[in-house]
Amino acid sequence: MTKSRRGLVTTIFRYVVLTLWAVVAFFPIYWIIATSFKIDTQWFAWPPVYFPDPPTLANYLNVWLGAEQYAQTQYAISSQKPLISLMNSAIIATTSTFLAVTFGSVIAYGVSRYRILSDVRMFQLLMLRMIPPIVVVAPLSLYYSALGLLDSMLGLILIYFLTTLPYAVWMTKSFIDEVPREVEQAAEILGASRWRTVFEIVLPLIRSGLVATFLFILILTWSEYLLALIITKTQVTTLPVELSKYQGSTEGRVYGRQAALAVGITIPLMIVGLVIRKHLARGFSFGMVRR
Amino acid sequence: MARIELDRLHKTYGPVIAVKDLSIAIEDGEFVVFVGPSGCGKTTTLRMIAGFEDPTSGEIRIGGQIVNDLEPRDRGLGMVFQSHALFPHKTVAQNIEFGLRMKRVPAAERARRVGEVAAMVRIAHLLDKMPAQCSGGESQRVALARTLVTNPSTFLLDEPLSSLDAKLRRELRAECDRLHEELKRTFIFVTHDQEEAMTLADRIAVMRAGEIEQVGSPMEIYSNPVSYFVADFFGSPSMNLIAGALVHEDGGPRFRSAGLSVRLPDIYTTLRPGPVTLGIRPEHVGVRPGVGGDVELPVRLIEPLGKDTLLYFNDGTDRALVAVSEGLALAGLKSGERVALTFAPNRIFLFGPDGKRIRL
Amino acid sequence: MTTAAVPSAEAHAPRTSTRESSRRRAMQRFRWSILGPLIALIAVVLLPVLFLQLYFSLHQWTVYLGTWWDAEWVGLDLFKDVLTDPRFGWAVVRSLIFATGSTLGCFLIGFALAYLMYKPFRGQALYYIIFILPMLTVPVVVAYTGEMLLYQSGPINDLITRLSGVEFKPQWLTNPNIALATVMLLEIWNWTPFSFIIMLAGLAAIPKEPIEAAQILGASKWRIFWEVQLPLLRPVIFLALVLRFLEAMAEFPKTWALFQGGPGTATETLPVYIFLTTWQYFEISKGAAMSYLVMMLMIVIVLTAIALLRREKRTLDAMYAQRQTET
Repeated sequence: MTKSRRGLVTTIFRYVVLTLWAVVAFFPIYWIIATSFKIDTQWFAWPPVYFPDPPTLANYLNVWLGAEQYAQTQYAISSQKPLISLMNSAIIATTSTFLAVTFGSVIAYGVSRYRILSDVRMFQLLMLRMIPPIVVVAPLSLYYSALGLLDSMLGLILIYFLTTLPYAVWMTKSFIDEVPREVEQAAEILGASRWRTVFEIVLPLIRSGLVATFLFILILTWSEYLLALIITKTQVTTLPVELSKYQGSTEGRVYGRQAALAVGITIPLMIVGLVIRKHLARGFSFGMVRR
Repeated sequence: MARIELDRLHKTYGPVIAVKDLSIAIEDGEFVVFVGPSGCGKTTTLRMIAGFEDPTSGEIRIGGQIVNDLEPRDRGLGMVFQSHALFPHKTVAQNIEFGLRMKRVPAAERARRVGEVAAMVRIAHLLDKMPAQCSGGESQRVALARTLVTNPSTFLLDEPLSSLDAKLRRELRAECDRLHEELKRTFIFVTHDQEEAMTLADRIAVMRAGEIEQVGSPMEIYSNPVSYFVADFFGSPSMNLIAGALVHEDGGPRFRSAGLSVRLPDIYTTLRPGPVTLGIRPEHVGVRPGVGGDVELPVRLIEPLGKDTLLYFNDGTDRALVAVSEGLALAGLKSGERVALTFAPNRIFLFGPDGKRIRL
Repeated sequence: MTTAAVPSAEAHAPRTSTRESSRRRAMQRFRWSILGPLIALIAVVLLPVLFLQLYFSLHQWTVYLGTWWDAEWVGLDLFKDVLTDPRFGWAVVRSLIFATGSTLGCFLIGFALAYLMYKPFRGQALYYIIFILPMLTVPVVVAYTGEMLLYQSGPINDLITRLSGVEFKPQWLTNPNIALATVMLLEIWNWTPFSFIIMLAGLAAIPKEPIEAAQILGASKWRIFWEVQLPLLRPVIFLALVLRFLEAMAEFPKTWALFQGGPGTATETLPVYIFLTTWQYFEISKGAAMSYLVMMLMIVIVLTAIALLRREKRTLDAMYAQRQTET
């Protein structure tokens, strides 16, 4: 087979396979967005309705704004106030992420330049995160209730901070590693103190990396389910838990509204993820990929 | 006084000895070049002087004062790195003025000095640019300016030209030379390029395996090498080094090797016979068409370079015997022609089996 | 310089400069002021939790008993109960099937996609964006979306029926024989991007020269893959498999939100079973014992993973060893 002929077959093959998976990957996302715009008669229609016609904002209005008048059928959701959950999620996620990145980057600097943690410890730190939360959630909730941290934002922030710290250290360390030692030494021999070198030279150079790390961890804390489920009761809810409450309620399958809620949860995350997509590889590689 | 003394400097990394008992005194205003192959310890030595490495033992004195315990910024030194190490997020002007800011020099004064120094290395037009917009040569000039402006007593340069192409290398080499002339400060320069060492240095310290093999002016190093290693390292094309033996024949000393036999000057009469290596630089091998001379050999390859002509001969070893002839007079020789080679008697070196030069 | 005999050790007694000691002091300060408090925080949170866990697994306690300390000592009985509980055994099996299956699925698909995509081509950026979207969804959302899609009279069955011409109406959500597979499929959909991203990074990081050299030497694409690319990808492959496996063993949201362990016990993986035991059957002590056992199991797996990954990282560092600049 000639080079060009083989090239054509390969190309066609490539596009076919990739497009196939692209459809598989995208279809569910399309579906949930489409469903969120469907009127209730189309939620379980057979044959399935692939394109909402007529599209409606009723689901969004009902779910996000608690507009009772848009509860079109007897499927009325007891208003759980998703907007409050949204705010809770936002506060908890951003605070814990901020803490993780701040402390993580300081530790990462120490590891990168002074090896305050050995290779082994770094991996152990990573593996800490890999213990299934399920095995510690029960005693954790009892411990928290004794401390009064149950059903509180602080409690959740604390545990999210500790569980995402390993990621923060690993990611920022890889960014700090890329700042050449010579640049720091040049500053040093020109008279800069260590603190000045860190704040004026090193950190500005990894600014985009810090942002990427922040957003990456934000995704994790935003979508976390199990810990939030156990630790929050009535005072505090996060969005993922809120969504599952819709399922558990006795009103049955309110697909359209669930979809509207789901879309609201997911879209911000997708936007964030797309913004940092170039850094995702770094976040996941943990030193196994040579740069 | 910025006299720098290294006193039995020793550096080990676990079982590896990077620098071995190194001692040298560098006078104020000298241009000293530490030269040697990769891994010889020259950069480690420089970094110990700067303060980025701590010696395992030994003392470093600047102006008579022991500086082992001083941080790099307190040693009064300036350093230019191989990778120029500019701050990528600051403008050229901000890079240059950094050291002055650390010394709390007021803004107006800073601007003035930056301007002065930028003019000195001819980068005044780059002051507002970012390092990414500068070429390799320009970046290195900025690095020079950055240390210049702080007025150090001594400049440390760690292979600053190694990452540049040949043309830029020559340009910046001339720049370093010029700066040294103008400023009359001490320059300690590290390189693996013998040409750089020869052209820039007042004194060269040749290093190998953590030790200094020889210290001397370029002249001395070139014409009076103490060892096979030093002789081989300097000179382009390299010195001819032929392994063979010293024998006594016809009442006089003679050098015999697989491919040739040459009568040696009488001074070697007192030497006992034994294995030796003969060294002679290509420019000291006289070539004449015809017969006679010390040895006759067929020429294998002729390379007319314009200014010189290189001639290659087979001397029975893996390495060809090289002779340099001025001009293109011998460019017309045909491969295989036998010619007469003469070794200038007072340019012949003999090296013993231990690599050391045999002196009498 | 004369080369004397090997100098004696005393001649080179290392002197500790005050700089080195002040540097060490500064490091100590750092350790205590930042690292220390954090470690203390982790200890304050983690240690009591682990202790409580152990306590409950050795004492029988239910919520009705009042305070914790009223619980009676039962020694290793609870552990025996758990280990002889067939339901627990099944949960372990299901978790392993789930983790292995979904990890392999994610890996194979992710690798295939990465292999087709690591060289630039038209539209690459768009495909990349679409491919990472599934990972950016919240797992709970995936669960519900899955439900909407896999409803027996839902779009997936409908589409496949129309496209293949054959009546295709499996009960994804209600057939106990298929349920575990359903969750696995969801998991694969959700996390293939993870494998994809790191395999892509790994492939892109392989230097071109060895590959080009192999091509000129006449190696076929297949051979190049097996003998050049794959060995260099080992560390990344390990990473993709190990991390995904660990996370899959711990998977909870999708399984719970969609099935709650059902239908029957068809999707009762370890996390689900533990959850049920603790919060629905309120057998807190039994749940604690189970958690402890699972934790032990996971620690063993994790330690093996650490050893594997560290070894891979070492070979990686050696392969790409930077030229020593200490000359």
